[in-house]
Amino acid sequence: MPSPPPSNLPRPAVRRVLSLVVVFHLLAVFLPPLAFQARGPLGSSPSVRSLSQPVRGYGEFLYLNRGYAFFAPDAGPSHLIQAAITDAEGNRVEQMIPDLQRHWPRLLYHRHFMLAEFLQDAYRPPLPADAESLAESEPAEYRAWRAGRARYERIRSSIVDHLAATHPDHEVAIRRIEHAIPTFIDFNDEPTPLDDERFYNVLLDRPLEELPRSELPRSEFPGSPEIDSSPETDPSATPESP
Amino acid sequence: MGGGALVSSVRNWWRDGAASWNAFWFTPRDPTTLALMRIATGAMLFYAHLVLAIDLSAFLGDAAWIDNDTARSLHDGSYGDPDWGRSYLWYLDRPPTIWLHHGFTMLVTLAFAAGLLTRVTAPLTWFLQLMLIHRLTGALFGLDQIATYVAMYLMLTPCGSRFSVDAWLRRRFRNRLGDPAPSGRVLRWMLPTHAPSVAANVATRLLQIHLCVIYLFGGLAKARGQMWWDGTAVWFAVGNFEYQSIDMTWMSRYPILFSALSHVTLFWETFYCALVWPKWTRPIVLAIAVAVHGGIAMFLGMITFGVMMIVANVIFVDPVWLRNLIAADPNPGSQQDRNAHRAEAPVTASSSSHRA
Repeated sequence: MPSPPPSNLPRPAVRRVLSLVVVFHLLAVFLPPLAFQARGPLGSSPSVRSLSQPVRGYGEFLYLNRGYAFFAPDAGPSHLIQAAITDAEGNRVEQMIPDLQRHWPRLLYHRHFMLAEFLQDAYRPPLPADAESLAESEPAEYRAWRAGRARYERIRSSIVDHLAATHPDHEVAIRRIEHAIPTFIDFNDEPTPLDDERFYNVLLDRPLEELPRSELPRSEFPGSPEIDSSPETDPSATPESP
Repeated sequence: MGGGALVSSVRNWWRDGAASWNAFWFTPRDPTTLALMRIATGAMLFYAHLVLAIDLSAFLGDAAWIDNDTARSLHDGSYGDPDWGRSYLWYLDRPPTIWLHHGFTMLVTLAFAAGLLTRVTAPLTWFLQLMLIHRLTGALFGLDQIATYVAMYLMLTPCGSRFSVDAWLRRRFRNRLGDPAPSGRVLRWMLPTHAPSVAANVATRLLQIHLCVIYLFGGLAKARGQMWWDGTAVWFAVGNFEYQSIDMTWMSRYPILFSALSHVTLFWETFYCALVWPKWTRPIVLAIAVAVHGGIAMFLGMITFGVMMIVANVIFVDPVWLRNLIAADPNPGSQQDRNAHRAEAPVTASSSSHRA
């Protein structure tokens, strides 16, 4: 038995319009994370993609196009940016981004941390040597790869330009660093400080065929959807956002 | 005969469903909870803007980490499908203009937190935040998401009707004119009486469901990994040096502890959307939310995100309960408000058994 309707409900016409608006908005809330999870090696689920289309622009403008995959699917290693800043005399200073000493308060540090994760997330290796043959056999994949690589280079170049602007008359170069986390078994066997230099690995910018499997972009793992596993990296339902 | 009974059953089912839908969405709700959330959300956004101001040119303008052109190109389709994320901040490049704009943003946000002209400052706070979000692509995280969503829903409500400068102004106008509410339609809308409203309920429901969606997909995403099942996820979170704010690596000696925390997090997040509605499971679900987000705030270096998620969970706290908790009304001149509230009381009471 439902409870009796409240006496001061809005007029039926108003309720109907409001209900339609509410349903539309909730679709825009629900569908982006669903679309984010419904991606596989062969692309997005066709039904989810079709359903998402009418609310896509609305959700994107309101910043609802998120995946909400915090620390998921697994809690992975951090990624940092190491900058080498060299003056005219050849004196070099190295900076790590983020840096707890320089980036304070914590929220400012976290913004810099997210930038480093964003660069890593955007990374696509240079095109392979046989790219031209790929352009003929898989034109869509080739175009997507080229666009992804160009996007990464644009972001990297912007970061380098910022460092150059804040260090006039210096040469600036950056590289990506992965900060590995020991397993609890390894940590118990040998309690090494987490910031020990052995845990920092340089990620090289090499063509796809030269990359070790551990450095392949996630989309290259057979059967593995391209899911952002970096914690709190603003996971997005769209490939072009972090 | 059988067909007629079936039609009648379907009709009853539809009528009951419509009644439940109307009660769920359109029962007027006390805005006390929303007023408190306005203060917390406004303060958090103000703090975020203040921190950004420490290094403003690193995040806005042509010499930022992500410069204006790059920020725009990440949305306009230069590298794939375009999206509808748009910001006029892509076009602000002169430092004085950027500073002026940021100062304005901070002032508006502060006014929103204080409840000053909330009908105007609430949507403005949300819009300015949205423009910042579409400009700060690459430097965003969970805090930006949840703070923007809460501000978006609050702007739909009379959240400035209590604990606010607006409430004080309303009393001033009322006392001067001797009327229970300020004279003039615009003034009455600008300085709303603290009373249950449909807008407060619709916004509350939207945020409640939005939170359920966030946790559901947060849980489902975790369920696709391995670490939340083998129990090592929390170890890899506390063992992450960049996140760490308090050294919790002593946990490595207690696998039972961190694996239990991993499993509880996975199940709590996945089933939040179901267990937060029944009254007897809601306190447990909200207590775990405080523990999980409090842990993130204290140990994983994200105090702002952790606090904001706890603030968002307050949306499930019954405003009537909250109002009773704040029994000592600090507003001595709000007798008319209380009367207005009392007039709506039967609605609130009759529906409280199935309401969040």
